Formats: sequence, structure tokens, C-alpha cells
Amino acid sequence: MIKIISSLVLAIYVIQMSTLSVAKGVYLEPEKFLQQVFENKPPQPEKLWVTKALKSDINSILGHDLNVVRLRYWDDGSKTVWILEEIGRDKPITVGLVVKESKIEQLNVLIFRESRGWEVKYPFFTDQFKQSTLGLDNQLDRNIDGISGATLSVNALTKLARLALYLDSRVKNK
Amino acid sequence: MFAIIHKWHKKFGVFSALFVIFLVISGIALNHSEQLQLNNKFIQMQWLLEVYQINPASEPLSFEADGIRVSQLGERIYFDKREIAKDAQQLIGIVSANNIVTVAFDGQLLLLSKEGETIEHLAGVEGVPAGMREIGTDDQGDIVIKAAHGYYHVNLDALEWKEYDHLDADWSLVSTMPEELNENLLQQYRGSGLTIERVLLDLHSGRIVGPWGVYFVDFIALMLLLLSCTGVWMWWKRS
Repeated sequence: MIKIISSLVLAIYVIQMSTLSVAKGVYLEPEKFLQQVFENKPPQPEKLWVTKALKSDINSILGHDLNVVRLRYWDDGSKTVWILEEIGRDKPITVGLVVKESKIEQLNVLIFRESRGWEVKYPFFTDQFKQSTLGLDNQLDRNIDGISGATLSVNALTKLARLALYLDSRVKNK
Repeated sequence: MFAIIHKWHKKFGVFSALFVIFLVISGIALNHSEQLQLNNKFIQMQWLLEVYQINPASEPLSFEADGIRVSQLGERIYFDKREIAKDAQQLIGIVSANNIVTVAFDGQLLLLSKEGETIEHLAGVEGVPAGMREIGTDDQGDIVIKAAHGYYHVNLDALEWKEYDHLDADWSLVSTMPEELNENLLQQYRGSGLTIERVLLDLHSGRIVGPWGVYFVDFIALMLLLLSCTGVWMWWKRS
């Protein structure tokens, strides 16, 4: 009986520790993400000034100010790439987004700093954003299925997908 | 036998009631922590901050340029009295050029206006060199960075990083923080270091008074288990 209980406790401990070790951290360096997207030839970053008009729309998408006056993005003529951050619960999640023809082509969680909600990094979740575009009121044209226990991370990623599509539309209409 | 168990059941029940009420209320509050914003509300009671030893882990660090002071307390960085970064490990220095204040820390550059408005945040992906050691300005007033693998002459507007074997510069140096500012920042640091959620979690688990508190909450939990068992047993005997 004691052996069974101690084995169970050990198993739970090992599972918990292995879960923690994959939870937080840098999944993909932003530099490597850029290299991958642009096949080792990323273009020079472009500048986007956050004007008053942009500020107001960004505020309605994120629910708060972006708190910067200018943003950098990468544009090779066929797609734009954005590396954006949004707080899930307590700490920012860094996400890389590729927008092509006004649709999300790729969304990768690059750095996750929270202790919960890291499941949003998996393709079963991020693939939902592929080919999504902006509909009315800068909302995505589809529902994104949540993950139990990761609601705030899901919300953060959804906001960033909307923001990247919105910013892409603004730089295309410059 | 029944009378003895009934007597102890009542005694334990009364003893446990207060704890049950507290555990239920704190449990419900923790379950709705995000909606109640308990993770964003901070404790200001000095004695509780002392209990948790909410103090910067290292000595304060401060740099001054053009009358603007940027300081680090613990993992936080402040532009004069305003917090501008929460998770910094090492403030490297600041420079002021062309009405823009550039703050260097942890392989990142934070560009701010002289009024403290954040203009831009640059990191490795924008070309900030790895292993940044020092930041300064050359005799033209341009930004120069000393990093692990060389020296860089920087144009932050065009994001041009020219690498050199050596560059001379007027490097940003640590300066003494005025006592009044130190006090102010220390108060800010302590006042934003302990959330209500943290305290509630520690109260709920008993951890607030160390391992014995946890054992005590375990004891209360076992007592509740015992009360459930004796309650069911007595009901079964009576019926």
C-alpha cells in the first residue's frame, strides 16, 4: 500500500515538474521567427506611427492604449509580419503574426511568461486563426474556440490577431 | 459509543465552523480572482509588506542625463517617478539625444520623450546587439553601444547598427540617487509588490504563517472529513 501511494506521489510530482518545465519560456526567438518567415532574408523593418485615429481603433481592439508612439513591422511586398505583445493575466505574451492578403497566414506564440494558459502555444489552438480576416467592428470573421483554464491567454491572442489584421490594413492603405 | 461520538461531533463542528466560513469565502474569492481584479490590487499595509519582506533584492541603481533620471529598484525601472519596466534584470544606462531619452536594459532599448512618453521599444529582433554592456554618445552626439561582440554606432530612427572593433564614447555612468527620490521609489516599489490574491492564497492554504499553518489547514480539512463521516454514521444509526 505504501509503495503504491509513494509511486503515485512520485508520478504526480514528475508530471507536475515536467508540465512546469514546458509551460513558461521562449518557444521561438523572435529573430528566428523572422528568419523562418522570410527564409533567412528578412527585410529592413518599417515604421508605423500610431496616430490619433489609429490610437482610438487600437484602444477599441485591445481595451487599452498600446503605450508606444511607433511600431516596427516587416514587409516584403507580399506579406507583413508583426511581433506584438499583450498581457494575458499578469505578464505579456509575445506573439509573431504573418498577414498575407488581409488574412492571418501564421500565428506563433514566441515567448510565454505567465504560469497558466500556456496551452495556447499548440497548433491545435493557433491553427484556428489561419485564414481569418477582419469583419465588422474589427472583429475576427470567425469564432475562436477557447481552452478551459486559459481564457485570458486566448483573449490576448485573439486581440493580437485582430490588431495585426487592423495594422496590416492601415499600412496597405497608406 | 453513540453519545461519545455525538459529543465530539458537536465540539469539532463548532470549532471548525469559523474556519469553514473563512475557507468558503476565500475559496470563492480566489475562484473569481480575475473578475474581482484581486491580482491587480495591491496591499499597502506596511506591517504586511514587512511580513512578506517586499523590498528590492539589490541596491538601487540610477543614471542621469540632461536632467532626467532613470533608476532601477529590484526588477523595476522608473523614469523619474514613473514606472516604465517591470521585469528588468540590469539597467545598463541612459542617453539623451535629439529630444529622445534612450534607456538600455537587458538587451532592450526603450525610447522615451523627455516628458516620459514611450516612443518605441526595441529588442534583438530590431537589431539591438546581444550582451549589451554600456551605452553612451560619441562626439557627434550619436548613440554608441558597447556589446559582448563589439562596438556599435547606432541610428535608431533608421535602425542602422554599424559594428566596429572599438569606439570611444561618453559612456553613461551610475550616479547617486537623491534621497527623496529613493524614498519615493521605495514606497512605490513596496506598494505594488504584493497583491491581495497572493495574501488570500496564503491565508487560504495557511502558508502565511509558514509550514505549521499548512499543517493546521490540513488538520481542519481532516476534521471536516471526520465530521462528514461521523455525521453520516450518526444519521445511519438513528434511522
